Amino acid sequence: MLILIAAIGIPVLIVIFMYNSLVKSKNDVENAFGGMDVQLKMRYDLIPNLVATVKQYAAHEKDLLENVTALRTKAMSGNISNDEKVALDNQISKSIGGIMVAVENYPDLKASENFVNLQRTLNEVESQISASRRAYNAAVTDYNNGVETFPKNMLAGMMGYKRKEVFFIAEAERQNVNVANLFK
Amino acid sequence: MRTIEELEKLYTTTLEGRLTGLEDMRKKIVKTINIILGVVIGTIVLMGILGLLGFGIIVVIFLGIVLGIALTHGKMKRYRAAFKSQVVAEVIHLIDDSWTYDSERHIPLNDYHTSKLFTHGVDRHSGDDYVKGRIDKTDFEFSELHTEYKKVTTDSKGRTQTSWHTIFKGLFFHADFNKHLKGETLVLPDTAQRLFGKFGQSLQKMSGRGELVKMEDVEFEKQYVVYGSEQIEPRYILTPVMMEKMVQLRKQYGHELHFSFVGTRVYCAVSITKNMFEPRIFKSGANFEDIKEIHHYIALIEVLVHEMNLNTRIWTKE
Repeated sequence: MLILIAAIGIPVLIVIFMYNSLVKSKNDVENAFGGMDVQLKMRYDLIPNLVATVKQYAAHEKDLLENVTALRTKAMSGNISNDEKVALDNQISKSIGGIMVAVENYPDLKASENFVNLQRTLNEVESQISASRRAYNAAVTDYNNGVETFPKNMLAGMMGYKRKEVFFIAEAERQNVNVANLFK
Repeated sequence: MRTIEELEKLYTTTLEGRLTGLEDMRKKIVKTINIILGVVIGTIVLMGILGLLGFGIIVVIFLGIVLGIALTHGKMKRYRAAFKSQVVAEVIHLIDDSWTYDSERHIPLNDYHTSKLFTHGVDRHSGDDYVKGRIDKTDFEFSELHTEYKKVTTDSKGRTQTSWHTIFKGLFFHADFNKHLKGETLVLPDTAQRLFGKFGQSLQKMSGRGELVKMEDVEFEKQYVVYGSEQIEPRYILTPVMMEKMVQLRKQYGHELHFSFVGTRVYCAVSITKNMFEPRIFKSGANFEDIKEIHHYIALIEVLVHEMNLNTRIWTKE
């Protein structure tokens, strides 16, 4: 009798354990994405400020400023998928990077207190974004390990869980994280 | 901070001459010890000649030790104080004269608790050689610290025995951190993973010190374990560069390093078993080797500040 209970009970327990761990790792991924979203929003909030400040000193950079504003509006429009969000975010990073390079030509702007503060805040948000991306990647790796390794992969297949992609940072973007260089 | 070469130059030009008084003190102590040793050996030899060897030897040696302590204790204390004020303090001021040094004080136990680095209750603590100063934009404090807990065991006959166990011994350091922090992050030596590999990682999840944060730097993960109140802030603090530096520091110095990031500060406990900044009685206190050693430990603090980029203030915190 005992053997029978063990023979049924143990596999059931194992399945429950595997099921829970898969669900947990999927939720961790969502949670991590949420964390990243918060940071991305913080950057969206900074953009109008940045645009206003730069405009005062560098009216010639109109194209750059309009571009970043348009991207922001698009990103904040709501009904976009996570992948689109990430793609937009990459573009925003790139265009903010472009503005930071353009700023080099305007010493008055670079020296203005408002701009310096803004730059610090941007650096902060950039670091936070990169931290939250790494957190997201770690959560995804954990999830993928669960989905792809035996025996959890069998259960994951039944649950319809699929491998998720980690972030790769584009070359251009890697460079623009170096906003710090502007302080030199 | 001055390099070791500059320090050597300063030492030969200014400090060495002033240390002769210290040398006289030390020589007197050595002389007293030698005399007592001579008397003890002489007595034993005499007893040998007279055929009185046996239990008497133990008595003579015991008396010798008691006499030795009685005659040198006060002198040793004075020599130690003089060494601290004339050598350690001077070296620290040579390195940076704005730093303050107190040979008797240590980092308050409160700071030790705030760091959350060690969870075991402290029953006894000691420490000395407290230094406070500023490197560029970063203010810091450090001292030697030793914390212990007490274990009372009772044997089958009901006799109790008290033993003391070290929780931490070494350099305890904390400095202003350059980023704003909301939660707490701990970076501890990864003994579990070094011993048990993957299985160790499962154990770490249950440690109760916070969420286990798995970092992507493989080398770093082998040496350290990270706990945080959440998943993002530890990564905000531990940039890839910072992780690399932490790995390097451990390799370079060979000491176990414990870091924590709490409130506005970064705490670092460097496990070192030997007593630092202490004079040796049978070796001249006025030698450059000792000074080099003091410099070595203080340089560690400076390296920590620089390697962790604590002076980089490009984020929102001034």
